[in-house]
Amino acid sequence: MGAFEYRQAEEIRDAFTRYGVRYLFIGKSGAILLGYADTTQDVDLFVERSAENGAALVAALRELGFGLTETEVAAILRGKDFVQLRHGPFDVDLVYAPDGIETFEEAWERHVVVEGFPVCHLDDIIRSKEATGRRKDIESLPRLRAFREYLRRRA
Amino acid sequence: MDELDIPRDWWEDFEAARRRPLATRIRYSFIHTYKPVLDDARFRAWDTMEEYRQWCEENLPDWLGYGRV
Repeated sequence: MGAFEYRQAEEIRDAFTRYGVRYLFIGKSGAILLGYADTTQDVDLFVERSAENGAALVAALRELGFGLTETEVAAILRGKDFVQLRHGPFDVDLVYAPDGIETFEEAWERHVVVEGFPVCHLDDIIRSKEATGRRKDIESLPRLRAFREYLRRRA
Repeated sequence: MDELDIPRDWWEDFEAARRRPLATRIRYSFIHTYKPVLDDARFRAWDTMEEYRQWCEENLPDWLGYGRV
């Protein structure tokens, strides 16, 4: 499998829009959409947890080429906190309860749209990374905070 | 580093990224390298984030950085 491409981001956006999936790009992939210069490996999507949204998400993922098994569908419909898919056209992590963010609705109210891509606000991306306590996230924070400051000065 | 200090090379990175179209930013930013254990299953799911964090700490090599400090 190759690296995630812009075309695939467009496919996510278009399929999720068609099916009415409520989601936000989060993590480094979200920050990159906001203009952050860094590298990452997979796509993190913060998905609203509801039966309706789960069904829409399953339909959209199948259209994108994810051959979901019944077990996988059940996990998505149930809205497990973290679902990792590694068998589709690209790697994706579905996050229903990111650390540091209380509710999807709260993040949705602050979200930013970049070329039609719904993205968590940078403050939420940073807050989420602060809350994980993981080494790799802690190491990424100084640069992410510097990027937030850069955006403030450039505004 | 002071919160408000932005190292010059980072500032230049951000400026360069700002000038690039989104498609180019994505091409430069997304890489694909094999992550041991993590990439060895087609699917995994955890009921809670805490269970996911614990699984990472118990199963992934330290150098991947998924452990909490």
